[in-house]
Amino acid sequence: MVILRRLSQTVSCGLFIYVLWSTTYPLAGTIKPAMLFKSDPLMMAMVSISQRVILPGVAISIAMLLIAAALGRYFCGWVCPLGAAMDITAALKKKHAILSDNRSAALRKIKFFFLGAFLILALAGIQVAWICDPVTIAARFVSMNMIPALTWAADRIFIFLIRDCNMHGAISDLYHTLESNLLGVKVFYFAHSAAILSFFAAICAASFILQRFWCRAVCPLGALYSLAGRFSRLRRTTGGCVKCGRCVNSCRMGAIKKDFSYSQGECILCMECIYDCPSHVTKFGFSGASRPPVNTESRKNFILILLSSLFTMGFAFPAGRKRSPGGVIRPPAALEEDHFVNRCIRCGNCMKVCPTNGLQPVMFQAGPGGIWTPQLVPETGYCEYLCTLCGKTCPTGAIPEITQEQKAVTKLGIAEIDRSTCLPWAKNKECIVCQEHCPVGEKAIKLDTYAGGPAKPYIDERLCVGCGICQNKCPVQPVRAVKVSPRNADRKCI
Amino acid sequence: MGIVLFREKGRFRMKDPFGYIAGLLDKKVSRKKFLAMALSSIGLFLLSGFRPHKASAAAPEGSTGRLKKAIKTDHDLIVASGSDPYAMTVKAVEMIGGMERFVKKGDVVLVKPNIGWDRTPEQAGNTNPQVVAALVDMSLKAGAKKVKVFDITCNESRRCYATSGIGPAALKSGASVYHPEDWDTVKALFPFKSPMQGWPILRDAVECDVLINAPVLKHHGLTRLTLSMKNLMGVCGGNRGIMHQNIGENLVDLTGFMNPELTVIDAYRVLVRHGPTGGNLSDVNDVKKVIVAADPTLADIVACNIAGVEPSDVPYVRTAIQRKFGLTDPSKADILNITV
Repeated sequence: MVILRRLSQTVSCGLFIYVLWSTTYPLAGTIKPAMLFKSDPLMMAMVSISQRVILPGVAISIAMLLIAAALGRYFCGWVCPLGAAMDITAALKKKHAILSDNRSAALRKIKFFFLGAFLILALAGIQVAWICDPVTIAARFVSMNMIPALTWAADRIFIFLIRDCNMHGAISDLYHTLESNLLGVKVFYFAHSAAILSFFAAICAASFILQRFWCRAVCPLGALYSLAGRFSRLRRTTGGCVKCGRCVNSCRMGAIKKDFSYSQGECILCMECIYDCPSHVTKFGFSGASRPPVNTESRKNFILILLSSLFTMGFAFPAGRKRSPGGVIRPPAALEEDHFVNRCIRCGNCMKVCPTNGLQPVMFQAGPGGIWTPQLVPETGYCEYLCTLCGKTCPTGAIPEITQEQKAVTKLGIAEIDRSTCLPWAKNKECIVCQEHCPVGEKAIKLDTYAGGPAKPYIDERLCVGCGICQNKCPVQPVRAVKVSPRNADRKCI
Repeated sequence: MGIVLFREKGRFRMKDPFGYIAGLLDKKVSRKKFLAMALSSIGLFLLSGFRPHKASAAAPEGSTGRLKKAIKTDHDLIVASGSDPYAMTVKAVEMIGGMERFVKKGDVVLVKPNIGWDRTPEQAGNTNPQVVAALVDMSLKAGAKKVKVFDITCNESRRCYATSGIGPAALKSGASVYHPEDWDTVKALFPFKSPMQGWPILRDAVECDVLINAPVLKHHGLTRLTLSMKNLMGVCGGNRGIMHQNIGENLVDLTGFMNPELTVIDAYRVLVRHGPTGGNLSDVNDVKKVIVAADPTLADIVACNIAGVEPSDVPYVRTAIQRKFGLTDPSKADILNITV
């Protein structure tokens, strides 16, 4: 069983990484990247509640909950990529701390507090569950740390072989083939990737101190699955137990109590206790065992905890005040800022798929509520005129899916030319690289040739879509002579 | 000196940090672990890109460019008209003397089309894929060891290769289609004073045996027309926008550096306004011609005439005429018009 679980964890991690790896142009993977997050009941529920919508694909997450109700909290032990990462970290250490029953029980209540807090905030119209959602935490790590690091390392190795060791023949061909089929034609860089990495690393490192600390204490998705898992009939039986206490010490979730009963909601079905049992009496099965007694004390506790999380209401955004994106350029057709920030689950799909590497995570520029939402940074990459991939990969519709025809007229902002540094305006030199690259059919950058001398570019604000290719290609460096601001962006209000 | 506080059995105690570090260093390391750590640190060092002589690794080596080959052709230039770009290209190349004159057995051929933009063939932003396919087919038939097709694109390269139709068409013909590396360049060296001195040029473009330049004739905001010399900007690395200042000198020097053996200008569909990107089908005229010449200047001048633009209005053609670069007088050239 343990081998089977490890296999399942490996397969699901591999699948997870494969889907995120193939989240790139031309999006040819068989599994849609949005599917990873549509199967996440926590995010789907919180976004749906906070936005008062029923998201398409919410049925998948309900199905996941139903499976959990039938099988228990299998997701945490068998599927969750973050859980697998924690298991790997914990395996580096041989001896693990064991908590007393009381401490263990106190610790596991915290996650219900988080779940309650997120639920109440969602009811108030604010979705902040992304902070603690394990699937998006793992996805951000894979998309913005792991894949860029691996492609970077491969790139460096090939550059070393080809340029420095002068292997221009077959190695070079192999590199080009790998690039177009596997590695992608450029190495992506993401802003704040160190912050994203440390968040992930801290969670994994916590399991070094206490196994599966995150799952025991923090994870709101685990709390949700734990609630659903209580209804499962797949239970642990220990008839004929000799009370040796091995399983108590080895349980990574601290789910087995000192009196050898176990907390069903905490059990992630890792099945280690079957193999630890020296008298081979620990079994998991659908029949026989009665439901472990749920003492009313804990139920009261739970309700109290839920209620106590009401205090988080104080953080609700003052009504009537509109969020402002500040100077942040949002992806094409992104919803109006309030809705956008609440719908965005920070999964990083849009940034991973953006073919020019233009979409970058925001840190604080859009306010504390906008952390790790995407923004277009024309310095690193522009918005490709006919590309609609970010909308296609967004699991919650924060960036709606639009057609190429709609995309061609969707404004992200408006470009502005700084005539004090623009070469034709300021230095009478020929240039108009911006006009050359402008993708609008009618050219949103027009040329002023009346004054004589080199043609001078100016922006037609009616036509400009704010894609930022002009800023990206402007030869005036490092401060470009043409810049995009999010003024007049088309942000739909739903 | 520094003293570390630590907790032991519930009480705070102090420890000498140097003793602590010495204790760590005293630990036994197994041979396996030692080897693994040593190898991984050497690997990391290699990955870091550090070289003792920075100039030898980071700066590309210099190159004086491709040599001009004296290839005798039957005519100086062929203008093929018709309705099938593939057949027109084949016929025009046959009439100028056949691909065998340019491509010898075992040669590495580079067909350099314009794949700059994320535009369909109908929008005429890029070279017609049929023209590229014809050139690849003929080169392979003439015995080329390998035919490369690439361009440093302006829009996102994978989209450009796919949307333009050139990627799939060239692959189908058996060419090696890939995205060139901006770090795999040589430094252009000129024996005279040139604004292009030291510019990074793609190594694969300089080191090929035969260079077939296959631009598309279209409008351009700065230079009036995009022609064969402008198309060669696609093998340049660096901050290419700077080349737009003094573009005439730059492009003529670049053409003299690259010396394409054959120039095939696709004028099948011609973008006449809002170039070089275009996008509106109403800006595209069906001219239905393909120009084939061994001399890039002559090809560009004839293309100017077809587009109805005075050659002296196109900065790089004007510079080429002033500098008497190649065949600059079409009235003295042997031009053959054919219909396919």
